[in-house]
Amino acid sequence: MGTGDIEERHGRPGALRARGGVGGHVGAPHPVGIRLERLSKRFHHRVQGEVYAARDVSLAVAPGEFVTLLGPSGCGKTTTLRMIAGFETPDAGRVFIGDEDVTALLANRRHLGFVFQNYALFPHLTVFENVAYGLRVQGRTAAEITRMVGDVLTLVGLQGYDRQFPQQLSGGEQQRVALARAIVIRPRVLLFDEPLSNLDAQLRVRMRAEIRALQQALSITAVYVTHDQEEAMAISDRIAVMSRGSIVQEGSAETLYARPASEFVARFIGRVNLVSARVVAVGVDTVEVEVAGQRVRAVAAAQPAVGDKVRVVVRPETVELAPAGSLGPAGTVVARTFLGEKVEYQVRVGDETLQVTRPGGAADARFAPGGAVTVRLPADGVGLLRDDA
Amino acid sequence: MLWACLALFVLFPLAALVARAFFEGGRFAPGALASVLRDPNHLRAFGNSVLLGVLVAVASTVLGFLFAFTAVRGGLPRAWTGVLEATALLPLISPPFTTAIAIIFSFGPRGLVTWHLLGLKGVSVYGLASTFAAETLTYFPIAYLTLKPVLAALDPNVEDMAFSLGSSRARVFRTVTLPLTVPGLGNAFLLVFAASLADFATPLILGGNDFPVLPTQAYLQITGLFDFKGGAVLSFVLLVPAFAVLLLQRAWVGRRYYVTVSGKAGAQTAAKSVAAWARWPLLAGCLVVTVVIAWFYALLAYASLVVALGANHAWTAVHYRVIFSEGVKAIRDTLVIAGLGMPLGGLYGILLGYLVARKVFLGRRAMELVSMVNYALPGTIVGIAYLIAFNDPPLVLTGTALIIVACYVFRYSPTGIRTTVALLQQIDPGLEEASASLGAGSATTFRRVTLPLIVPAFFAGLGVVFIRSMTAISATIFLISINWTLITVRILENMTELSLGPAAAFSMLVVAIVVVVMAALSRLLRQFRTPGRVMVASLLGG
Repeated sequence: MGTGDIEERHGRPGALRARGGVGGHVGAPHPVGIRLERLSKRFHHRVQGEVYAARDVSLAVAPGEFVTLLGPSGCGKTTTLRMIAGFETPDAGRVFIGDEDVTALLANRRHLGFVFQNYALFPHLTVFENVAYGLRVQGRTAAEITRMVGDVLTLVGLQGYDRQFPQQLSGGEQQRVALARAIVIRPRVLLFDEPLSNLDAQLRVRMRAEIRALQQALSITAVYVTHDQEEAMAISDRIAVMSRGSIVQEGSAETLYARPASEFVARFIGRVNLVSARVVAVGVDTVEVEVAGQRVRAVAAAQPAVGDKVRVVVRPETVELAPAGSLGPAGTVVARTFLGEKVEYQVRVGDETLQVTRPGGAADARFAPGGAVTVRLPADGVGLLRDDA
Repeated sequence: MLWACLALFVLFPLAALVARAFFEGGRFAPGALASVLRDPNHLRAFGNSVLLGVLVAVASTVLGFLFAFTAVRGGLPRAWTGVLEATALLPLISPPFTTAIAIIFSFGPRGLVTWHLLGLKGVSVYGLASTFAAETLTYFPIAYLTLKPVLAALDPNVEDMAFSLGSSRARVFRTVTLPLTVPGLGNAFLLVFAASLADFATPLILGGNDFPVLPTQAYLQITGLFDFKGGAVLSFVLLVPAFAVLLLQRAWVGRRYYVTVSGKAGAQTAAKSVAAWARWPLLAGCLVVTVVIAWFYALLAYASLVVALGANHAWTAVHYRVIFSEGVKAIRDTLVIAGLGMPLGGLYGILLGYLVARKVFLGRRAMELVSMVNYALPGTIVGIAYLIAFNDPPLVLTGTALIIVACYVFRYSPTGIRTTVALLQQIDPGLEEASASLGAGSATTFRRVTLPLIVPAFFAGLGVVFIRSMTAISATIFLISINWTLITVRILENMTELSLGPAAAFSMLVVAIVVVVMAALSRLLRQFRTPGRVMVASLLGG
């Protein structure tokens, strides 16, 4: 049965538009994009008065793209996601799904799939009925429902769980039911609100791979919210880092890691050394800076002038250690922690303490705490931070 | 629609009461109030009411705490806890006179204890002491039900911590357990005080001429002297302490200590706050009360089966024949009214609870407050207010069943409302959002998701309205008529006619019906899967 039949029967124009897929296959053949235009949402805070949960958030998600909103709690990522879903109404700005302006549309007319942090499974319904819920709302026939629910439960690896109640399932299984319930209605877009935060570490890693694989298989546009930078990097095509209600930087995981635009992003994504430096030469795309007596090339976000004091982003694993007396800045090993696959050092160079990570296989007894050492910064690939960041 | 109902059945009667008390021919005339306040009898009644309330509240709180502490911290076998629970439940589901009747049977001029056992003559059972004892036994379950969850929510780990810091048991009790229970104790005190203040049945029977209290005075003013104005003024005087208690309770308990039933309740640890040897004195203390209550009910059952307790102890079924012949109308009327009120009250409860807990609209808090008014006010006031409001056009309801049903619905549904609100607070709003994201409109969401989850509240509300319809008297005694009467009123009539046998038989019947219906309801409730178990909140209300 085509979707047009349902539209006619229920007379809800717009509600089911842009829904692809006919027959038993779960999926949306023609993914649609999402566009947020200067979304703002204020809340009333008991102490601080009016506060912005989201402020001028603009974001474009390409059809089929997997974008993650990443940030610490309270940064506005969930509020933004909930505005996409229609659970919150923005005070200003517009939300587009595909070409349709859905800002004024109720959540139940947007036709999106939402996966909740705590799953939000209906406790009084069986797994089958939980998944069938959206299909029943659409008014599908019993035969269709049985087939579609069966298909999707197989897809998420839950065949045979039909008659169980949510309380009888493990956290991971509940998460799969929530996923199945969201995708069975063939939503235009999938939205995830920290779906893995209630699972233990190992399961989190497995589930995020499954979610990513599922999204790819369905080729569906997805927006994902998390505060876990590793999860964000593992699952997304693109990450938008949020802080205090605004998107502060967006880009691929590699870009954010290698060229963070601000100290906030640098510190939020991975471990980092922020080292004072002085600009000694300005090139076209890069500048040359002097860090602890060593000259390195840096990728600049803004164009500084020669002589400016700046800070550079040095990732711990890009720093090399050499025996004392080698060419390069001299330092003292303060601490050394053996972690199996890697060894972490703290090395004092001048006024700064650098975090240095070396492969575990290269564990070298020469670099013991208290010993002198030579530090080598990467010759290029160092990120340069603006002064205001 | 709901506002219209609330206005008609809550605000309008109250306004009518105040109008009757203070306005004479359209003009403000506070003279009536002044003359009432000058009447030494009324002043004494006021003093008596407050005195009785304080005494009963103190004694009930102590007794309630003893029961709750023993049940929660005593480390007793389940069977004993069950006994305590049953002891506390029985007075709650009985008609209001049962303890009073049993006290007369035991300690009256021809009482089993005073006359037969001790051979005392000319004993007067009437007065403060007996009223106090009867009310304490009737209302301590309120304190018990209030304190038990408070004590149960006290994490034994906290006490363990105090022990590990070297405290003795007595010290832990004094410095940890008791202080943490203080808000609960205050709450229990206020609830019992309000219940005693509003109690009408017990003082009417046991107070006698020497111990008038406000509710009985107001009743006599209206039924004896047909002085509506005097009754209105008197009940207004009763309003003052009642409101004071309400405000105090709101201020004190303030933000309710919601105990979340989360998985992470700390390590399971056996409560060690009670030494093994201390367990038994505690239990013994409780059992004394249990025995007294059991004795009272046994006596009642016995009295309903003998010709005349105290005089002729020959077995007979005559009292039951009486209530099933002459009394059959009262039984039928009561069941019809309870049967009508039950679904209406249950529905009204979840509807209002849902609106208050989930919807944002203007006057939401006002609606919640107004819905609680009839519940918080003493029944006498509500009864008189209804009588005054619906006796004359525009809306004449006196003499109909509707007025009694309306009284019950608006007076006893707050339990259903609060259970609904409590349940909804436990239900993740995400469920409703999930439903919306799957395409369901708000009506579908309510029907398919919310409603099934608050069904337990519906039955809780249902149960309370039913029990109260069977046992209440203080408000509805003003509302009965030739057309519609109630079992409880018949019991009172029997008492005043000194036909104690039928009164006892009626009481047994009520207890039996309530027990059967309660059992049926709780069985029904078990059929529903609920996300969290919500106790049927206190069955308080006179």
